[in-house]
Amino acid sequence: MVFWILIAVMTGVAALSVLVPLSRTKRFPAASAANADEEVYRDQLAAIDSELERGLIDPGAAEAARTEVARRLLAAHDKNSGTPEARSEGARLKLAQALALLALPVMALGIYFTLGAPDVPDQPLTTRLNAPAEEQSVDILVARVERHLADNPEDGQGWSVIAPVYLTLGQPQASARAYANAIRILGPRPDWLTDMGEAMTMANQGLVSADARQAFEQAVEMEPDAVKPRFFLAIALGQEGKKDSAIKAWEALLEGADETEAWVQAARQQLAELNGGSPLVAALGGPSTEDIAAAQDMDAADRQQMISGMVSGLAERLEADGGSPEEWNRLIRAYMVLGEKQKAETALADAQAAYADKPEQLSLIKDAASQLGLTGS
Amino acid sequence: MLVEFGHYALVLAFALTLVQSVLPLWGALSGDQRLMAVAPPASVTIFMLVLASFTVLTIAYVTSDFSVLNVLENSHSAKPMLYKFTGVWGNHEGSMLLWVLILVFFGALVGIFGRNLPADLRAATLAVQAWVSAGFLLFLLATSNPFERVLNPPLEGADLNPILQDIGLAIHPPLLYVGYVGFSITFSFAVAALILGRLDAAWARWVRPWTLLAWSFLTLGIAMGSYWAYYELGWGGWWFWDPVENASFMPWLAGTALLHSAIVMEKREALKVWTVLLAIFTFSLSLLGTFLVRSGVLTSVHAFATDPARGVFILALLCIFIGGSLSLYAWRAPMLKQGGLFAPISREGGLVLNNLFLTAATAAVFVGTLYPLVLDAITGEKISVGAPFFNLTFGPLMIPLLIAVPFGPVLSWKRGDLLAATQRLYAALGLALLMTLFTFWLWGMEKVLAPLGVGLAVWVMAGAIAEIVTRVKFFEIGAKRGFARLLGLPGSAWGTTIAHFGIGVTVLGIVTASAFQEERITTMRPGDTVNLVGYEVTFDGAAPRQGPNYTEEVGHFTIRKAGAYVTELDPSKRVYTARQMPTTEAGIHTIGFSQLYLSLGESRGDGAVDVRVYFKPLITLIWIGSVIMALGAAFSMADRRLRIGAPKPAAKRKVAPAAVPAE
Amino acid sequence: MTRKQRRLTLIGSAGAVLAVALGLILFALNDQIVFFQSPTDITQSTVPTGQRIRLGGLVEEGSVIRSDNAEVSFRVTDMANAVAVTYKGILPDLFREGQGVVTEGVIGSDGVFVADSVLAKHDENYVPKEVAEALKAQGHWQGGEGEAQ
Repeated sequence: MVFWILIAVMTGVAALSVLVPLSRTKRFPAASAANADEEVYRDQLAAIDSELERGLIDPGAAEAARTEVARRLLAAHDKNSGTPEARSEGARLKLAQALALLALPVMALGIYFTLGAPDVPDQPLTTRLNAPAEEQSVDILVARVERHLADNPEDGQGWSVIAPVYLTLGQPQASARAYANAIRILGPRPDWLTDMGEAMTMANQGLVSADARQAFEQAVEMEPDAVKPRFFLAIALGQEGKKDSAIKAWEALLEGADETEAWVQAARQQLAELNGGSPLVAALGGPSTEDIAAAQDMDAADRQQMISGMVSGLAERLEADGGSPEEWNRLIRAYMVLGEKQKAETALADAQAAYADKPEQLSLIKDAASQLGLTGS
Repeated sequence: MLVEFGHYALVLAFALTLVQSVLPLWGALSGDQRLMAVAPPASVTIFMLVLASFTVLTIAYVTSDFSVLNVLENSHSAKPMLYKFTGVWGNHEGSMLLWVLILVFFGALVGIFGRNLPADLRAATLAVQAWVSAGFLLFLLATSNPFERVLNPPLEGADLNPILQDIGLAIHPPLLYVGYVGFSITFSFAVAALILGRLDAAWARWVRPWTLLAWSFLTLGIAMGSYWAYYELGWGGWWFWDPVENASFMPWLAGTALLHSAIVMEKREALKVWTVLLAIFTFSLSLLGTFLVRSGVLTSVHAFATDPARGVFILALLCIFIGGSLSLYAWRAPMLKQGGLFAPISREGGLVLNNLFLTAATAAVFVGTLYPLVLDAITGEKISVGAPFFNLTFGPLMIPLLIAVPFGPVLSWKRGDLLAATQRLYAALGLALLMTLFTFWLWGMEKVLAPLGVGLAVWVMAGAIAEIVTRVKFFEIGAKRGFARLLGLPGSAWGTTIAHFGIGVTVLGIVTASAFQEERITTMRPGDTVNLVGYEVTFDGAAPRQGPNYTEEVGHFTIRKAGAYVTELDPSKRVYTARQMPTTEAGIHTIGFSQLYLSLGESRGDGAVDVRVYFKPLITLIWIGSVIMALGAAFSMADRRLRIGAPKPAAKRKVAPAAVPAE
Repeated sequence: MTRKQRRLTLIGSAGAVLAVALGLILFALNDQIVFFQSPTDITQSTVPTGQRIRLGGLVEEGSVIRSDNAEVSFRVTDMANAVAVTYKGILPDLFREGQGVVTEGVIGSDGVFVADSVLAKHDENYVPKEVAEALKAQGHWQGGEGEAQ
């Protein structure tokens, strides 16, 4: 509202600056061009006199200059005596007033509405950063904390606050870094270690890296009963192909577990896969329980065939319609697990070609591939 | 809200310039006092609106409001506060807004201080100024709107080009723009006079101070740009005949010519038609400069705009304003009454000579700047026209002009006496010859031209002083009365003397710095010493250093003379981290008017580094001279008296050659 | 002098000055302009040794050899042909291998280009316009306009 009042006032002032001089009834002395000229010459005559007085010119020169000016003055006077008097016409005045009253605001507002964005508020940075938290987007809150941490990089509490936020925002790498900072400053805590390991694992396409495993192991050392780090350690064992140790780990984890907890279901599934399936199924992800159940009934050769079928199905689909970087990664990982390095490399090359112009996705693919010991072309 | 307020103010200013373009001129042509009376208040309102708009944009920069696209693209919240201000014009949109702000500011000045102008001339001038303003406001709104918004802005901007994060470059554009744009007023005066079909004494009286104002700012702006290039680019050069430099130099040359022809017009009512043409040309060259720099035709640090639509738009404005005014000129000029007559040897004759050489020099620079562009456009052939071309064309045209400079002020109006004038300059001539011989004696015959150049510079300087000394008859009436008369001299006489003296100073700097410069380029290891004109430059080693938004490799040098410690210099090579852009910071030590100049090249790994060491004798005189010239213009402007030039009576010529009517 | 004589003197001197200016400009244009050449132009056509030219292209990767006394040699390439260049002096800040460069100088009798100035302008994205077009002509140009932002 204030904005529109301001706009109206401004437009009014602009219109008035035209209207007021138009409506002034007081007639100017007809200081027309001609008279101004004569005035200039009269002033010049006076200047010559004063210079003569100060002794800046000698009398002869002064006389000559005076003659010259007088000549011009006369010429100007002759020329001017015929100048018609100024006059104002009613119709012209009306038109001028209309221009100021109507055309000016219409034009200004018309152009402004095409170009302007009256609804967009100002957003100075400090206001954006200082707005009440509930009005702010997560991005801004994160930026505030980031600013704070840039100034106070030794604030461990700050790092620990922002770390889980990064994880929910889908930035596991930043999250892992934040946890690492918090741990570096405030010392290790089992929950931080676990979450850091989880973030690392997420950043690593679900593969538990050595660093992550170390974090989980440290967490278990500090809190032997903790479920989450042990869960990830079990997954790690499975990924490393240490099937027996993995089964043992899962069984230990599930022993006496509360069946209602969410992780139990996942753990059972992992265990079932280890008992019957191959790591490939885990790698491929997403086979239905029926598939798995069926696979368990098959003999090894059939199972291998079914798995190959799934892999080639995925490959065909990606070939034909393309897919997300995650899907490509899954395919590449599957080939690696199957021991078909050649095909994995081909798939990697295809994936890189598909994302050649999207550096962000491309780097996801490359990262994942290098985890598997592949180097992109 | 504030941002949109600024945006609307700009739009409203545009609408008001359209009204202003029509009403006052209509009034002036039909003799309607009330319509003419609209012009002054409207010009002030337009200025206030654009000022509000500019202020709002500045606030957006200072508060880092990244919802404004222009701020987002050219600022950063961590940028030092000074560069948040100067960053407003460190980009295409903002600098064009500054351009328009100065344009309407000059309009407002005429509106406020033009009371003693004839009403119709003032109204028509302001209307013409409004045409130019409307054209550029439209350009701004249509192609380069600084108030474009971003809906969900990111939290950080893209930062200002680090090369522009320098105090020199922060001041250089406003100075240059006041100069460039200041000539718009003389243009508007000229076009208004042509429309009204009348050039009178009041016209001439008004044009000169405006020209002086614009000219002095342009002088300072060019000098500032030159000094910046000198210390920032690290090549030790101060003028490159780069097309962008030429773009500002051409209006300066034409403006200098205009300044002098306006004197003739004011005092003698001669050269009217020519002065009007020069006024049109000068601003046309300013517009051309803006076009060259802004359209992306030239590639340089100044070329922010690469959008072809902008280039086409400015080209269209250029054609309308230049073509329109020249057509008007062709139509109206024959109707203008010619003024006073004068003999070839006279003050007027001297000023005509000045104009001839200056316009010829402008033409040479014009050809050298545009020929490659035209040739490329027509044949696709790529050529470059560099310093050799300009040295061969511009140089020879300047020499006769400089020789003539001291003669101008000692000649009398209408018919002069060359012999008497020369007599008044005997002392200056003697001093110049003495300095030439002295330089020959110092340097021997190896450089023939340089001593002559020194002599020429001394001739111009001494001639300027000789003129004022003989004018007050210092030696005839005694020191006491002489001083009294010296102080009583009008400002414009002082202005001429000071400005001409400044030219001599600049020429002296140019000649000595180019001819007697000493240079060593070498690779130095820590402990190495280079000898240059008696200075021992020792390289102590280089070390990295961290700046606020850059990292740099700083070389440490100790300067000694005959074993005695003189100073230490730390030239460096910087890399601005945000854009990974390297820059060079020269190390400069000023000795008197001379400078020792060190700049670093590549590091060679084992602690060795390429170093360029210059000794530049009297180089600072180049810029000091420019400042003196601008000062002269200020003196002349301060002189608000009315001026008249009249011939000396013929009978008195033989008796008293000294007395010339005061300016 | 009569009025007519005065006018003639003025017009005569104006004409003389303009004629001198025109003569200087034409002479200088004939003599002092420098043509831009790409390495291919130089290798294929015969640029007379001793004539000043501008040579533009990319600095060939791995070709920069620095020797003492701030001397440097490198090769300028347009991806089709390359020309060896020597230069003594400080290279501009943005001189890098693989980047665009414009050098000015003369070709020596041994076919080596002796440069007395090397330009690589103010912006990291900047490829001199002539270089961009010469590269385009050779079909080796990718990317947007090579102009400063």
